[in-house]
Amino acid sequence: MSMACTANPSLPVGKLEELAREIRGECLTLAHQSGEGHLSSSLCHIELLTALYFAFMNLSGPQEQRDRFILSKGHGCLSWYVTLAKHGDIPHDWLTSYAKEGSPLPNHPCKHSLPISITSAGSLGQGLGIATGILYGLQLKKQPEPRCVVLMGDGECNEGSVWESAMFAAAQQLDNLLAIVDYNGIQAVGKSDEISGHTDLAEKFRAFGWDAVTIDGNSMPQILAALSHVPFTKGKPSVIVAKTRTMVPFMDGKVLWHYRVPSAEELEIALKELQL
Amino acid sequence: MRRAFVDALYSLAEQDPRVVFLTGDMGFEMFEAFAHKYPGRYVNVGIAEAQMVCAAAGLALEGFRPVIYSIASFATGRPYELIKISLGYPSLPVVVIGAGGGYCYSVSGPTHHAADDIALMSLIPGMTVVAPGDSGEVTALLPQLLQLDSPSYMRIGKFGEPKYSADEPILLGKARCLETGADVAILTTGEMAPIALDAIALLKSQGRKSPALYQFHTVKPIDEERLVELANSARQLIVVEESAPSGGLYAAVIAQLAQRGIRTPIVRLGPPDDWVLGNPQRKNLRMRYGFDSHAIVRQVVEAYEKI
Repeated sequence: MSMACTANPSLPVGKLEELAREIRGECLTLAHQSGEGHLSSSLCHIELLTALYFAFMNLSGPQEQRDRFILSKGHGCLSWYVTLAKHGDIPHDWLTSYAKEGSPLPNHPCKHSLPISITSAGSLGQGLGIATGILYGLQLKKQPEPRCVVLMGDGECNEGSVWESAMFAAAQQLDNLLAIVDYNGIQAVGKSDEISGHTDLAEKFRAFGWDAVTIDGNSMPQILAALSHVPFTKGKPSVIVAKTRTMVPFMDGKVLWHYRVPSAEELEIALKELQL
Repeated sequence: MRRAFVDALYSLAEQDPRVVFLTGDMGFEMFEAFAHKYPGRYVNVGIAEAQMVCAAAGLALEGFRPVIYSIASFATGRPYELIKISLGYPSLPVVVIGAGGGYCYSVSGPTHHAADDIALMSLIPGMTVVAPGDSGEVTALLPQLLQLDSPSYMRIGKFGEPKYSADEPILLGKARCLETGADVAILTTGEMAPIALDAIALLKSQGRKSPALYQFHTVKPIDEERLVELANSARQLIVVEESAPSGGLYAAVIAQLAQRGIRTPIVRLGPPDDWVLGNPQRKNLRMRYGFDSHAIVRQVVEAYEKI
């Protein structure tokens, strides 16, 4: 696969899309090899991760001053690991150990085995709150520049703790907080819109004092446009509600692919559809 | 004990700029001076215990030493999973304060009872769990908890509890001998220490033999060495706790004794595994369930008669 790249905010859209495609292909292959599920949760937010790591976040310079990233939807970690490898944050050869016993890359990120992970994810509804603590702490240390980006699931937004954190973030005016909701419409046992009563995520966040945009979360131009306006309103935390899909046609919109692992044949079809 | 906690917190914050205090909308008129002196370091997150725990985790990740506060039932039960996963699992240095642990709020009904706070917090691997018995132990233990690089829980009481003193210092993880005595040893945690001291004073005033008393302010990790020593030299142990029968001091003690084959007879005085209805006064509750100072006296007398 490709060589690892370091962050370069002036990468053209086409190059970012290419990176995303490669990451997607690598995820499919690794999912098949590892036999580990939660594939669709990983596939849907790949363009978002690519844009964050290669075009938006400040990830160079002294550690303290860098932007922070929290994968709150920890089960979607496969694509995050692949992104980290592409970005040069972890050795590429770690990827084949994904989800294996003793791996630094378990199926839910563990801070003990992967110290560069800010959190040990896997229990939903905690990443946003942790981000508010980080940012509040940065305020106390008089370091207003670093931003904290939290990637959450739409199902994850069922959790009450998410809204406790959302309330706090707005009350504390944490405008260097960016939450991204991977609105892929699928949860573990159902469709997110049915479960939430067909209510609008962006409106909910606005009601909590945030500013919000809703975008096509697989469109690199739309992602980049949204990111370029963060914070959307000074003094308010920002959320991007990103409508996404796996980008592998036979997997889209199916709760089944939340758990299923592609067979060799399915992998071949998928890679062909991605033109890899 | 709350006054002692507030004062200790204030003085520790003065010495250590990393100390930050978060409350889940509790502590009426308690933290005014703190908030005034350190406005950014006092945070009322609202009635949002999960958020309080997660924000503390984030602050700890940025090098702060957060102290989080609510009444014991809400500080431990409600955000239990957040404490376990966001503090315990990554081993973050956050001190969780449960005000009014045990049956401090006996008159407020089961929603405010926290007989299970020690048990819940003890279930979390790596968690240090303490229940001081008076303001002196609060003042001594808080700075020691703030030195830890892992999470901890401290159960405190309310206001105006009796103070006591002893020759032995107040050291985290070390049981503290409050009274010497032969053959019978009382083991307490939290506010049962002064109750046991009352019982011992009563026994002495009656000219009776009086037992040793060990205050286990640190329930986890329990002072195994001291426990073994005192259990081997006593002929009867009496554990007095204002906690549920499972998961508190008694449970920790009998597990240690059983593992080591120490067969010293042991009895527990404390509340039952049951809901305490009727909003009783705390002293009546202790009398009803046989763990007030008179019950301790009776148990000690019986123990000495048997020996």
